[in-house]
Amino acid sequence: MKTAPTGAVFFYNLCMRPNFFHHLHPPTIPADQARWKYTLGAGGTAFFLVLVLIITGSLEMFYYIPSAVSAALSIQVITYQVPVGWLIRNIHYWAGQFLLVVSIIHLIRVVFTGAYSATRRFNYLLGLGLFALLVLMDFSGYVLRWDTGVKWALAASTNLIKSIPLIGDGLTNFITGGAEPGTSVLVHFFAWHIYGLMTLALILMVWHVFRVRRDGGIASPPRELNSEQERINRFELVRREVLAMIFSMAVLILVSIFFPAPIAPAMTEYSSLSASDRAPWFLLWVQQMLKWGNPFFWGVFSPLILLTLTAIIPYTLPEPDASEIGRWFPKSNRLAQIALGIIIFWFVLLTIIFLLSS
Amino acid sequence: MNRPITLIASLFLLLTIAGVMWRDSHSPVPTSLTPTLTGQTEYCLSCHSDLPEISPSHPIKTFGCVICHGGERLALDANLAHSSMRGGKNPSDLLVVEQSCGGEKCHGGAPSDNHDHIQRVETSIQSTYAGAIAIIRYTFGAQPDLTARYGIQAIKDAAITTKTGLPSLLTFDPTSETNPFIQKFGQNCLTCHINAIPRQGNPYSRFTGCAACHTPQSQNQSAKNAGNANQKSQVHQLTTAIPFTQCNTCHNRGNYDLRQMTFVERTDPLTDRLHTYYQPIAQFTKCEYTLDCIDCHTRVEAMGDGDLHSSKLDIQYIQCKTCHGTPTELPKTFTLSDLNNIAFREAKLNPIVDLKVGDTLLITEKDEPLWNTQVLSDGTYRLIGKATKQVFSFRPVKGSQCTQSGEDQSSAYCHQCHSVNK
Repeated sequence: MKTAPTGAVFFYNLCMRPNFFHHLHPPTIPADQARWKYTLGAGGTAFFLVLVLIITGSLEMFYYIPSAVSAALSIQVITYQVPVGWLIRNIHYWAGQFLLVVSIIHLIRVVFTGAYSATRRFNYLLGLGLFALLVLMDFSGYVLRWDTGVKWALAASTNLIKSIPLIGDGLTNFITGGAEPGTSVLVHFFAWHIYGLMTLALILMVWHVFRVRRDGGIASPPRELNSEQERINRFELVRREVLAMIFSMAVLILVSIFFPAPIAPAMTEYSSLSASDRAPWFLLWVQQMLKWGNPFFWGVFSPLILLTLTAIIPYTLPEPDASEIGRWFPKSNRLAQIALGIIIFWFVLLTIIFLLSS
Repeated sequence: MNRPITLIASLFLLLTIAGVMWRDSHSPVPTSLTPTLTGQTEYCLSCHSDLPEISPSHPIKTFGCVICHGGERLALDANLAHSSMRGGKNPSDLLVVEQSCGGEKCHGGAPSDNHDHIQRVETSIQSTYAGAIAIIRYTFGAQPDLTARYGIQAIKDAAITTKTGLPSLLTFDPTSETNPFIQKFGQNCLTCHINAIPRQGNPYSRFTGCAACHTPQSQNQSAKNAGNANQKSQVHQLTTAIPFTQCNTCHNRGNYDLRQMTFVERTDPLTDRLHTYYQPIAQFTKCEYTLDCIDCHTRVEAMGDGDLHSSKLDIQYIQCKTCHGTPTELPKTFTLSDLNNIAFREAKLNPIVDLKVGDTLLITEKDEPLWNTQVLSDGTYRLIGKATKQVFSFRPVKGSQCTQSGEDQSSAYCHQCHSVNK
């Protein structure tokens, strides 16, 4: 019996034998489920960004001090004193922003390729819930800066919750630790950001990915209706994922070098809002609606209605035809595409109106 | 096909890592300072290590920068670090002076400790401009007498200590005046009070608040070399050795034309001290231009006595006779016996004389020690210029050939014989 040379064994173990990461993937998947022009790599990129956020956020926690007096100063320490602290903070910030953008692209891709069929509707809801959690995480992380740039967010978060009839006051105390800005409120935001929301988001994320596997991988037409039978193996799949990660990381670093995360003077007094105080970019549309009057209606009820409308798209509008799943702009679910298009157009329009009016 | 893409992406990532190293190498090297007064580390010196210490009485190791200037003490980005500075470059602006320079142990303390500088300045005629406002309002019939009713800002004085002290002033609002001259006065003539943004031009260039006087402008060396004597630049300095040129950023700069209610700048050539100090129409003696303003005028005259007044005549009292006496009386003198006397503190702030207990000084009619003077054993006097350190010797009027009546010893009478002919 011939024995393989030691070098060949080593090479096999290193490069050819499936490792831990390969084993997280199916041995093979249909090639059309992993095409960039179909998936845009959005779901995978979102997953990678979450990993980046966990790692950079964990590093930031070594220096961040969640107290009203020290929070903004500790961010200045991270940004200016800690070796490459500026890079870690900028990557954390930009990963958070990109995650929202990538998640929206992912949502658009899912609807505009008919990737939610009857069996995948629940996962659509999980994804949407995950998106809502990411918005809240982005928002709570934004408040943790505790500098003069987050005054709107701070006031809105406490006042909007307070505006909810009957339970507003109690809910404000539970969620934000009270209506008066101070260490109690900051610690609540801190706990929600790194523990409460984070735990929920991780559960939903794992569930979401699990459901993708359970539902047969990334949506594609059933085998009997699919002319393409080509498959790719896990090595190719991991290679593509690594490529996407390298590219995403490079973009994150590049943006972090030239566009630092916002930072402002420490908040030393809690003055009332002025016209220059702004929401974070992803909530400018809410700030615009709040100009129209009743804070509960425009700041709480309306966003929830929009979220609900987005959630019921797969349940109320015509489903995509099985043969069209995985193809861009299928005719069979045109109504769903139009509905989502209108909702996104509404966000964009309100944001533009706000920016133009201010 | 796939390999080049992986290679390009990897190279892209390596390039960005090189970018990180480049960016990191361009960050300022942090220089920390933990002042003993605050105990809080600050990094201002990372960029400002070349600034001179602002004054011997504000040592950087004790005060640091942030306690006066504010700002983001840990930031190394100029925009952020400077964004919350009090008063921009000037923390002594009266709008923020209480936070910057105040406090019981600093300049916001009790009158009995002579630490009430801020309260005195805020109520002083130089801040309220109440005298000019009252005269103009009286002249144009808006008020029946010369008692001030308005100042630049509304202000109250709970503890009146002088006969001419006022309990309060209202904010002067030119737009609510009916007389167009008073309105025009409001538009054109409010640039001289201590917290006003000065008129355009180098001769008027000064800060506001305390720094209006205590941060003298230095002549820009490059401008000096280029022959432009008027160009000045601000320096990082607080001093009590204030040269007359600093006083002249407001005083002696021109005249108000009451018919047009506009300021007419002086245009005579400012060639030397004799021709720069006063306007051509002014009468003055030799000592009035060889000395600096602060060699005669006292801290109370300049910064106020804590009361609100209607006129500078209520607070300005130094005359020639304060130092020279009259034909019948010698000037008042005082022998230092207590180390807590304000004279020692003033001499410590501007160490031009080595005062000792037992020294005899001239003292004003309101008992302010003229700490830079000395009564010599031969009955003559010596004065050391606070800004120039020049030594001046002078004699009392008593025993001289002066025949002026003792009742008529204000400066105007002295000028009749002793004025300098330009």
